[in-house]
Amino acid sequence: MKKIILLLLFIPLVLWGCSHDMNRRELDEISLIQVLGIDYSSEGYTLSGLYKSGGGTDSEAGGDSSSEEVVQGTGKTPYEAYEDLKHKHKKNLSIAHVGYLLIGEEAAKNGLNLCLDFLSRDETVKMELLIYVTRNSDALDFIKNGIEDKKTIQEDLEAISQKQQEFLTRNDNTLVSILNDMKRSQSSILIPYLLSEESGFLIEGYTVFDRLKLKDYLDRETSWGINFIKDIVRSFPIYLDNGVGLSLSYSKAKLKSHLENKQIKVTIKLDFETLIKEVNTNADIFSKEGLILLSEEQNKYITKLLEKPVNYSLATGLDILQLARLVENQHHKKWKDFEENWPEYLYDVQYEFDVHSKVSKSFIMGNER
Amino acid sequence: MEKIINSKILKEHFSKSIDVVIRPIKITQNNITVHIFGVDGLINTELFDRAILQSFKFDKNLNDCRTERAMMDYLLSGGAYHVFTKEETDMDLLLRYVLSGMIGIIFDQEKKAIIYDIRSFEKRSISEPAEEGVLKGAKDSFIEVMRINTALIRRRIRSEYLVVESLNVGRVSKTDMSLVYISNIANMDTVNKIRDKINSIDIDNISTPAFIEEYLIENKKSLFPQIMYTQRPDRVAANLSDGRIALVVDGIPFVYLLPCQLPMLMQSPEDYANHFLIGSSLRVIRYLSMVVTLFLPAFYIAATTYQNQMLPVELALSTQAAKQNVPFSSAAEVLGLLISFEILIEAGLRLPKTVGTAMSILGGLVVGQSAVSAKLVSPAVVVIIAIAGISGFIMPNQDLSSAIRVYRFILSVLAAVGGFFGLAVGLILLIVHLCSLDNYGVAYLSPFVDVDESNHRDTLMRFPIKYFTKRPQKIVPKNRIKQK
Repeated sequence: MKKIILLLLFIPLVLWGCSHDMNRRELDEISLIQVLGIDYSSEGYTLSGLYKSGGGTDSEAGGDSSSEEVVQGTGKTPYEAYEDLKHKHKKNLSIAHVGYLLIGEEAAKNGLNLCLDFLSRDETVKMELLIYVTRNSDALDFIKNGIEDKKTIQEDLEAISQKQQEFLTRNDNTLVSILNDMKRSQSSILIPYLLSEESGFLIEGYTVFDRLKLKDYLDRETSWGINFIKDIVRSFPIYLDNGVGLSLSYSKAKLKSHLENKQIKVTIKLDFETLIKEVNTNADIFSKEGLILLSEEQNKYITKLLEKPVNYSLATGLDILQLARLVENQHHKKWKDFEENWPEYLYDVQYEFDVHSKVSKSFIMGNER
Repeated sequence: MEKIINSKILKEHFSKSIDVVIRPIKITQNNITVHIFGVDGLINTELFDRAILQSFKFDKNLNDCRTERAMMDYLLSGGAYHVFTKEETDMDLLLRYVLSGMIGIIFDQEKKAIIYDIRSFEKRSISEPAEEGVLKGAKDSFIEVMRINTALIRRRIRSEYLVVESLNVGRVSKTDMSLVYISNIANMDTVNKIRDKINSIDIDNISTPAFIEEYLIENKKSLFPQIMYTQRPDRVAANLSDGRIALVVDGIPFVYLLPCQLPMLMQSPEDYANHFLIGSSLRVIRYLSMVVTLFLPAFYIAATTYQNQMLPVELALSTQAAKQNVPFSSAAEVLGLLISFEILIEAGLRLPKTVGTAMSILGGLVVGQSAVSAKLVSPAVVVIIAIAGISGFIMPNQDLSSAIRVYRFILSVLAAVGGFFGLAVGLILLIVHLCSLDNYGVAYLSPFVDVDESNHRDTLMRFPIKYFTKRPQKIVPKNRIKQK
């Protein structure tokens, strides 16, 4: 019995002794930063953190009495700016709950690795935090605009990520995905960019990073083409010239590469299915021939989309389709011959499209009106 | 007291006890005087008058007997009809029988007595089990009378192999006990071990169940119950046919079952009364509740004090908002409320039912709500403690529930000093402790730790009855087949 009593006393004492190194802080003593912005100027980096302050839910008033506040810190590096941020704020700060990281245009131009390095080394940071680039704007301005007139940037960003999930099967702009992509220097990194609008934010397309620095912004159609090639499309609307509107219900993309005498050939095979959503034509689209025609039309529509990122890649020599990974995986032995001068090969890649589709269901009503 | 059966010695010894009756009956024709020896209130006087006393007064054959020996022979051969009739020469046994409610006829010259079992004392009728009630199933439960309890078991197991061994414990109380097992199923080594343990108990009085339990359990330092009790005869019958051994103690309205393992304590008769999927779901909920009641308060402390990144953003924010302006740390709040919860339970047990309900409302709702309004505790903690408390009461076995409640405190303290690291230490200690427990040769975590797949069919999930083909291997090494 003595042993048990001693053990019960000993363990808490040891733990208590260790607890000083375990960062013991009560939850209400911490400001939880939810949105973090990184900007860069000639003076250095500015880190902006958005957190909720105040009493939270006021049971008597029956509402939320908290407000969103922004705290800023500056420094030569993002980490220095973060320490400055902590120093200036009256409460303890935690970046453990950061759900969104906004990278200002200038900071993105200065280097993605510089922005993400200190975050990737913090053991508390959530690896699923979503990263966006703020096009034509500083992240701080973006955040400030977002909380003007009792708007909540947090909710707007949540709505954006939900919209992403609605159209795509996965978000590739998480911290862990970007860090993985950064390991492969031959390929370009793609991060969605946000545009500020009066009513809120808009996600438009991808920002292209070349050698970890912002290179270009892709338009909406090129970005969708990339999504198809990456095989992450869950839903997509198709508007055909003949007045028929369709919605993609299934898609499966497969990339295959062939190497012939230093020549890379890539076949993009895409199978997809669509549902008819709108018919604004008197043509008989529900006959066998009509459906075949519809399939051909939508194949052309999607092929055009696929051609956009392909043409961009051929024109700029940027590996936005992650072909380096494809070739390395499929031709592991020969990859070394291409590795060193990889960008040069990208200009001469031969692409082939193999698009098949099916229009399924939703014929019940026909087109008789 | 002299160990010779004699009415004078008994009269002298019991001269100050008014409930002990030692009365002479003179049989006039042959001039022999015998003494009746019994305890008023424990015997059925009507039966005594009709079956025994009438024979003494009006039976001609008895009156014709010239010696005490002849009278005894006549009575034992049916002169006075009764099921249990026994000649006794041992004074200690005579006292044991009479003081347990039987009546003795003392023959001084022969220094012997004849015992008749005409016990009749006030007892509770068989009612619904208070703790183990089921919607679908038998409604009878054990009472305080051992013989009725053994009869309830015998009614359910009509096997000729059902053995009801008689034992007696307590220097002063001389409490009767019955060791019940099925001789062709139970492991006789375990039966012998339990019998030896009971026989080695040398104590004055068996006043509470704990007196028996503490002598029978193998690891006395453990918080966790190593002996199972039940109020339900059907449950005892099921466990006996699984090879377990039952102990029925006079004066205790439940029956002990050995060997006992943790999964057994998580089973409820309801599991077998319902469809196997419903039974399995209920059991899974029970195990989940055990995890919740054990870890939730400690998890809250660890998450709000050390590793807040473990909480999802929305939960962290709402918890943070709820904790605003509360002057105490999370650990103090949780431990304080856990103690208050135990006080409420304890007070509820002591008070009469009507007052208890009012007190629960006052303590739980009024004081709880006021404490939240006064910002003494955060609403989140109240919810945490309420969930943990309610989950704790889902345990079918109250001893297990109590053990978990105590361990919950230990885990909360460990979480308060070491966060999730402390919680992990507590969890490891708990697993090591449970793995080290052994109950009459059977691991406490059996059948979870058993290799034999057939043992796992009634653990976390309850398989359909047709899959219960074998008895637990560790409990019944031989005769394992239950059904084909």
